[in-house]
Amino acid sequence: MNGPDVVWYLCVAAFLFCTGALGVLIRRSPLIVLLSLEIMLNGSNLALIAFARHHGREDGQIFALAVMAVAASEVVVGLGLIVAMARRRLDLDVDKLRTLRG
Amino acid sequence: MIAAAWICLFAPLGAAIAITLLGQRLTRRGAGYLATTSVGMSFVAALVSFAGLLGDSPSQRYHPSTLWRWLTAGPYDFGMRITVDPLSAFMMLVVAGVGFLIVWYSIGYMDGDDEERRYFAYMALFVFSMLLLVQSGNLLLLLAGWGLVGLSSYLLIGFWHERPSAIAAAKKAFVMNAVGDATMALALFLLIQRTRSLDFEKVFPQAPAFGGWAANLIALGLLGGAVAKSAQLPLQTWLPDAMEGPTPVSALIHAATMVTAGVYLIVRTHTLFEAAPRVEELAAGLGAATLLLAGLIALVQTDIKRVIAYSTMSQIGYMFLGVGLGAYANGMFHLMTHAFFKALLFMAAGIVIHALAGEQDMRRMGGLRQFLPRTYWAFMVGALALAGVPPFAGFFSKDSILAAALAHGWYGQLLWVVGMVGTFLTGLYTFRMLFMAFWGEPSAFVREHFHALNRDVVGVSLAVPVGVLTVLAALGGWLQFADVWTPVSNWLEPVAPALVEASGLQEAASSAIAVVLGIAGIGVAWWIYGARRAEAPRSLPLLEHKFYFDELYDALFYRPAVFLANALLKWVERPLVFGSVRELAGAIRELGLETRSIQTGLVRTYALAIAASVAVATLVFVVVR
Repeated sequence: MNGPDVVWYLCVAAFLFCTGALGVLIRRSPLIVLLSLEIMLNGSNLALIAFARHHGREDGQIFALAVMAVAASEVVVGLGLIVAMARRRLDLDVDKLRTLRG
Repeated sequence: MIAAAWICLFAPLGAAIAITLLGQRLTRRGAGYLATTSVGMSFVAALVSFAGLLGDSPSQRYHPSTLWRWLTAGPYDFGMRITVDPLSAFMMLVVAGVGFLIVWYSIGYMDGDDEERRYFAYMALFVFSMLLLVQSGNLLLLLAGWGLVGLSSYLLIGFWHERPSAIAAAKKAFVMNAVGDATMALALFLLIQRTRSLDFEKVFPQAPAFGGWAANLIALGLLGGAVAKSAQLPLQTWLPDAMEGPTPVSALIHAATMVTAGVYLIVRTHTLFEAAPRVEELAAGLGAATLLLAGLIALVQTDIKRVIAYSTMSQIGYMFLGVGLGAYANGMFHLMTHAFFKALLFMAAGIVIHALAGEQDMRRMGGLRQFLPRTYWAFMVGALALAGVPPFAGFFSKDSILAAALAHGWYGQLLWVVGMVGTFLTGLYTFRMLFMAFWGEPSAFVREHFHALNRDVVGVSLAVPVGVLTVLAALGGWLQFADVWTPVSNWLEPVAPALVEASGLQEAASSAIAVVLGIAGIGVAWWIYGARRAEAPRSLPLLEHKFYFDELYDALFYRPAVFLANALLKWVERPLVFGSVRELAGAIRELGLETRSIQTGLVRTYALAIAASVAVATLVFVVVR
């Protein structure tokens, strides 16, 4: 089997995931939060594919495809929401969208 | 003969169902005719059964018939079973015959009422229930009929349901009867436990083997049912209130048939009572006490129907006195003549009430003799029969009961004295009623009502049944003249052989004294209320309040129950039940208020919480491994 060991892939995947999570946690623009979410998903996709290759089976790859489909639909919903917010001239700031507080 | 008995039983039920189902498709009149025809059919069928029995030799007159298995429970098996024997045939004739006349009378009496169909459906249901009671071949079916007559009585007392007093009276009657039903059911449980059956021919022969306490308990339970249904002490207070129902209902249910069911029950189960002689004497004593008490209360009543109601209680007291002392045929004979003359009195009073647009207070009547001459004579015949004046019906039957009491040792003689006092009271209150309503100058109220009317205000369907009953009340007593001819006693002998026989001397002496006392009562009534030679004595509060029985039961049962309920509400329900629920709800509310601050609405805090939880979970996962 060629190429770097599975550990390296996992390290990159973890780095991507943590970067995404950090973005989700600290950025306020919903657009950037969505973007960071995509990075998290891609991190996990990388891990799935790495394991698939490591074990020599295709389950992980199929899983990654499913994750991509879900991510695409999620982006559709999220961007739709953001467009709707922009139309209503609401501030694009997740901290100001807190009508649902207890 | 058996087929006729079944037709007799089910014809009124068919009419009740048909009237109910047809509803508006049947005219009001049509409902009346249908009910009358069905009860008439029952009477004809009863006559056929009677004729069939006449053809048998006396010892063979017993024909049970089971239509289907009604109820099966383990080893117990109860059939839909009737018995045709002299006693049930006797009762079938009385119930269907008098019932036919009264339902017919109702067509005229209820004419124009908004709910005539409902009335006739109830009446037909009642006749069916009563026939079931008297025809049933086992005690379970008898109890079913017993409950059904209570139900129809309840429905008919409360027939005018827009009157609160009628509803209250209906409930009172139902509750007091339920007490009796309960004791009777307990007696039946004990019987099942002892004999493993409730069929007459299986239960009765085993009665002597029950032993003291069981026999006493069974008889007491049955007696409880009998006194409740027949309005005897101590469960008598419902009957006067039951006069809230329409007058034909009072005539049929609360005078002629249902209230005499207690007497029938004692005669039917006489072997069970004979196994407990003390209880049987108690029944006689209760009858004597009731006849005296009811006679006294009747003296001060002003409502014409209530006077007749108290006299019904009093006359049933005589029947209890008779059957309690073992003079079964005499009691049944009085039951029959009483059905005639008491139904007559009620129906004549009904004509008066009808003519006066619902007025029942005798103080507002007076002078009705001029306006309702034929009703007056019918009422007179009924009153004479009730007072026991020869040759009218009551003389024969009541005096034979009293003569039998005289032949029953010192206890019977004691009750005989009470019965004699009752005879005097009967004459007094009956003719007080007659003189107050029919004699004297017509009051302004009466004149007003008859001013625009014809003299002949009585329709055919009112007049004919009253006429027939007048003849029966006048001549019905000749059916049996003790010591000379005794067809009633002979007829009932195979079912209920008498325990006491009065000698000819006792019959003659008792009759003579009773007639003298009855006429003395009439004379006193004439002196005070007819001729008005003396001022009417002031009535005693004790009598006005009916010996304070209502007040006593109020204090004994109603008030403690209300007190207990209030105490439970105050000390248990509110603090414990309500309190615990309220505390629990409050605590949950507090918890919600405390935790609501966690939900900030900030998406990023939620995300942080998720991330932190995942981190902790991962850490735990790694460390624990």
